[in-house]
Amino acid sequence: MPTELPYAAEAETGLSYDELEVLRTQYYKEIEQGHVTTQSKFNYGWGLVKSQTAELQTEGVKLLQEIYSASPAHRRECTYYIAVGYYKLRNYAYARKFNDLLLSVEPENMQAQSLRQLIDQAVTRDGYIGMGIIAGTAAVAGVVLASVLRRSARK
Amino acid sequence: MSTAYPSGLNLKLLLIGNSSVGKSSLLLRFTDDEFLSDEETAATIGVDFKVKSIELDGKKYKLSIWDTAGQERFRTLTSSYYRGAQGVILMYDVSSRQTFDELLKWFKEIDTYCGEGVVRMVVGNKVDKEFSRQVSTEEGQAFAQRMGALFVECSAKTRLHVPEAFEELVRRILATPSLWSKSATPATARREEPIRLEEESSSWVGGCGC
Repeated sequence: MPTELPYAAEAETGLSYDELEVLRTQYYKEIEQGHVTTQSKFNYGWGLVKSQTAELQTEGVKLLQEIYSASPAHRRECTYYIAVGYYKLRNYAYARKFNDLLLSVEPENMQAQSLRQLIDQAVTRDGYIGMGIIAGTAAVAGVVLASVLRRSARK
Repeated sequence: MSTAYPSGLNLKLLLIGNSSVGKSSLLLRFTDDEFLSDEETAATIGVDFKVKSIELDGKKYKLSIWDTAGQERFRTLTSSYYRGAQGVILMYDVSSRQTFDELLKWFKEIDTYCGEGVVRMVVGNKVDKEFSRQVSTEEGQAFAQRMGALFVECSAKTRLHVPEAFEELVRRILATPSLWSKSATPATARREEPIRLEEESSSWVGGCGC
């Protein structure tokens, strides 16, 4: 029996405040010392992406994108976590872009396959919500239009 | 067995060990009964996760299995997933002496991050590569015994002893009520130390097998 649902562990689980604080402290300590290791920056970026607020997640994606550009050795994991970050930020176009980048190199990567399913599901869900909003707006517009017409007909 | 195990218990298991010993392959074999060739597999990024329900002695259990990356660069990340685990599989590759020798470091990780009483199981994978074996069954067995851990040799490739390994681990957890009887997340971390960073990384052999 195959496992049922797509799941990206890294997208669903967060860190405690203390855990993120350890990573943050290390990163800023290294900034003060004038030399930031890629590992510390990556760890903090990862922790931020896993956090619960959009502001922190955005900061995390930014750090990871800097590493992505600067360090080819870390490109693989950065690609994945940038995709996870954009997914959490509900920027599905960018999430898909980075996830597809990883899949183009590793088509069999199960983590990326799973994330792709999650992105697809989210896009479909948001699509329905979008359509609902449009349908709702159309209905309201219809009512307004009808009342305007009725009023003008009375005159 | 006299203890009445609650049915539907949710157990958290963890897979750790050096890079390329076959943690993800063991999990895939167990959950989906599949095996991917070398070319098809990719080193795990951070952690992966799968759920599998099993039936033991007429009762159902839901296993949440966390598959961690073996690569050194993810050590800080993966340590945050140890919390609350009731069982840990420490894996090595019987055809790689180094992966066996470094099990001690993985035991240390458990001591640091896992709750007390967590069940440990040493698993020697890739017994299908008998011709290039570097660690004998006896040696693996003796080491596990010394560390107070269960021991199984298996092959994710041929499926040999894979379901049995998980079953034995679950049975031992069930035989340790302190791990699951208190609440939904029974094993509380012994120390409230969050993520450890730099101290030890230098003692680790750099690079990875991929």
